[in-house]
Amino acid sequence: MAELLTDEEKVEAIKKWWKANGVSVVAGVVIGLGAVFGWRGWVSYQTGVAQQASIAFEQLLATAATGQVEATELQAGSIVDDFGGTPYAMFADLALARTRADAGDLPGAALALEAAIGRAPEPALARLAALRLARVLIADDQLERAADVIDQHDDDAAFAADFAALRGDIALRQGRADAARTAYRAAIDGGAGNSRLIELKLENLPATDAS
Amino acid sequence: MLSEIRERAQGWVAWAIVILISIPFALWGIQSYLGVGGDPVVAKVNGHEITERQFNQNVQRTRMELRNRLGDAYDPDLFGGLRLRDQVLDSMIRDTVLLDASRAMGLATSDAAVRGAILAEPAFQLNGAFDNDTYRRVLQLQGLTPSMYEEQLRQRLLATQLSRAVSGTEFVLPGQVDESIRLLDQQRRFEFVRLGRDAYVPQTAPDDAEIQAFYDANQDLFQVPEQVRVSYLLLDANSLAGSSEAVDEQLLRARYEEQIEQFVQPERRGLRHILLTVPMDADNEAAAAVKARMEALRERILAGEPFADIAAEASEDPGSAAAGGDLGMVDQGVLDPAIEQAAFALEANVLSEPVRSRFGYHLLEVTAVEGGAPLPFEEVRAQLLAELSRGDAEAAYFDLAERLANLTYESPDSLIPAAEALDMSVQTSDWFDRAGGEGLFASPRVVAAAFSEEVLAIGSNSDLIEPDPEAMQAIVLRVDEHRPASVQPLSEVREQVLTLIQERRATDAARAAAMAMVERLEAGEPLAEVAEAQVDAGQGGPAILAPGPVGRNTADVDPAVLDLAFSLPRPAPDSGSPQAASTVTADGDVVVVQLFEVIDGDPAAMAADARAAESRVLASALARSAYDRLLDDLESRAQIEREPLGAEDVAQ
Repeated sequence: MAELLTDEEKVEAIKKWWKANGVSVVAGVVIGLGAVFGWRGWVSYQTGVAQQASIAFEQLLATAATGQVEATELQAGSIVDDFGGTPYAMFADLALARTRADAGDLPGAALALEAAIGRAPEPALARLAALRLARVLIADDQLERAADVIDQHDDDAAFAADFAALRGDIALRQGRADAARTAYRAAIDGGAGNSRLIELKLENLPATDAS
Repeated sequence: MLSEIRERAQGWVAWAIVILISIPFALWGIQSYLGVGGDPVVAKVNGHEITERQFNQNVQRTRMELRNRLGDAYDPDLFGGLRLRDQVLDSMIRDTVLLDASRAMGLATSDAAVRGAILAEPAFQLNGAFDNDTYRRVLQLQGLTPSMYEEQLRQRLLATQLSRAVSGTEFVLPGQVDESIRLLDQQRRFEFVRLGRDAYVPQTAPDDAEIQAFYDANQDLFQVPEQVRVSYLLLDANSLAGSSEAVDEQLLRARYEEQIEQFVQPERRGLRHILLTVPMDADNEAAAAVKARMEALRERILAGEPFADIAAEASEDPGSAAAGGDLGMVDQGVLDPAIEQAAFALEANVLSEPVRSRFGYHLLEVTAVEGGAPLPFEEVRAQLLAELSRGDAEAAYFDLAERLANLTYESPDSLIPAAEALDMSVQTSDWFDRAGGEGLFASPRVVAAAFSEEVLAIGSNSDLIEPDPEAMQAIVLRVDEHRPASVQPLSEVREQVLTLIQERRATDAARAAAMAMVERLEAGEPLAEVAEAQVDAGQGGPAILAPGPVGRNTADVDPAVLDLAFSLPRPAPDSGSPQAASTVTADGDVVVVQLFEVIDGDPAAMAADARAAESRVLASALARSAYDRLLDDLESRAQIEREPLGAEDVAQ
């Protein structure tokens, strides 16, 4: 059929086609370009934010190491406010917990660690924070709460041994020597950190449960 | 014609050609998307590939680091194998998991941090400051552009962030430190008795059936490892040195003349002096006055007065005046330059003119001259001879070693042709196993050669081996006899079996007695009574030893006893129910330990800095373990595909 058309007829056909479809073609191109540049912009914005957050976090770590509670509180607060969507907000909570724990503020440290668990960008980090939280709660003599935290977060083989060691600590403080013994054994067998100290705890248990 | 082409071009032939041509265009470059024909991949982590090239680079880098760190202790056989490659791949996978997780979480490295790291890198610095040209040159040497390097650096920094977030926020609670101190500094008070194995040896000897049964059940005790006996040719530079023929005296003389400077002794002179000091700030007139006084003294000596008397009387050098001005034997380079020049220019026993130094005026006399001339030929002849023959021996050694290697290689089935050609004698070794034997055969290189495929299985001569490159010894060996691993026959080890059975029975009997003792102790009987009822009751029972409260690390108590005492459950305080248990010590005796009291370490007694150190140790252990767990956790959830690793590729 194409061979039957003259040149004028062809031009006419193209014009007709453009009238019918021109708007959608232009719209398609605009949307396409917009999507590409928009995505790029979004990624570079995100990277920029993360980079700023990482600078702020480095400063926070330096401050936290000096043990200045107020300055740490301030810097950690601003990271949480300004970069709440980045993983650095969780790291800020961890740093805050450390400063508070070093200063002897156990309930404060527990609060910060609870916030950290809520903000964890990665389940492994949540488990790490839970491990620290349980340690703080045990030191603060809130054994029930510590046990709850452990039960909630002890769901991965990698951290199981360390949680078992804390279960042992709880049982020991509750006077349940046999339960502590079982827990400590599990911790040592699972390769918990600082297993030498756990062995010492194990060997220090009384033979039977305290009455 | 054009219309003809146009018509034809519409046909199916034209279409076929166009389609054929379009295929290469369509598929151009597709391999980079599909990974076809790219680098072979050794592992895949969450879709990120670890290529064989990266892996091999890392293996080599690791090996180089090991070599630098271990130096001579580096043994390529130990680190060349699959184990090293396995470890390297493991750590690369872990790094990739970490990097991937860090990115997925949204961690980022700031440009400022990258810039800071580059500015701080010593390799890019010139005179202690960052230098852009140096930076570019160093990168060029590594085949990197700045943007490539910056990307690598960014990744490296990113990979450390998580670790710092974990370790920088780790904390240790005071209660944890207290608990650790209480445990580590714990002391325990216990008593124990030792039941000597010898007292429990049964009277009756085991019968043959028992001996046979023991032998059958414990074959591994009587294993003899695979052994070989080799014959060898040993070339030793030291023995060559002795065999040097008649000495050519002319040659020795010529050597002596050549090296005569080596034999010159540095000159020393015996010296005495008289000093008249001239103050530092003295003017010419004052100095001239001192010089005049010195001239007067000189005249007196020349007139016959003894030097020593004048020195004692007039010298203003407090160190030497009393000794008659004597300075003893003096080497060159010790004295004030002005005095030295005069002293070494003087003839012996001639009084000098007054000499000016920075101290003042001196009058010098040389009393003795030593050295300065070469040692006579006769005195150094022996030394020359030794050197000469050692040089000869070295040359002869290398020459012989080469011929030995060639000859033994040419006739690989025997050492005799080489021995005859080189006038050496074939020697024979004792039996030795893979752990090595005596003397020469303790060298790992010699043992490895003797047990190598080529020598042991094929039966060829070994290569020329230098057991110790320093020692100038070389050996070629071949295996004469080979004894596979075997079990010694019962007839040879009967005595040994007998002893072992009796010892084990004795230990068993002692252990049974100890267990009975523990039972009675647990029932509340005192240790003294329980001990008295033992086998050697005639002597009043085994002695009760009470070391008193001791710490974990005391050296005063048998480790087996200490371990048992510190692993017993903690007795309730003041309960009057001490804990008891028994164990076998390293030498087969049995001990019964009764634990009375546990005394915890006292955190309050610890000095503040020791406590701080303890706290740091705990924190770093916690941080390290937490970070490891974190990576374990990430790795356990990552998708990891590993290709099985082949054996070492030879290409280095």
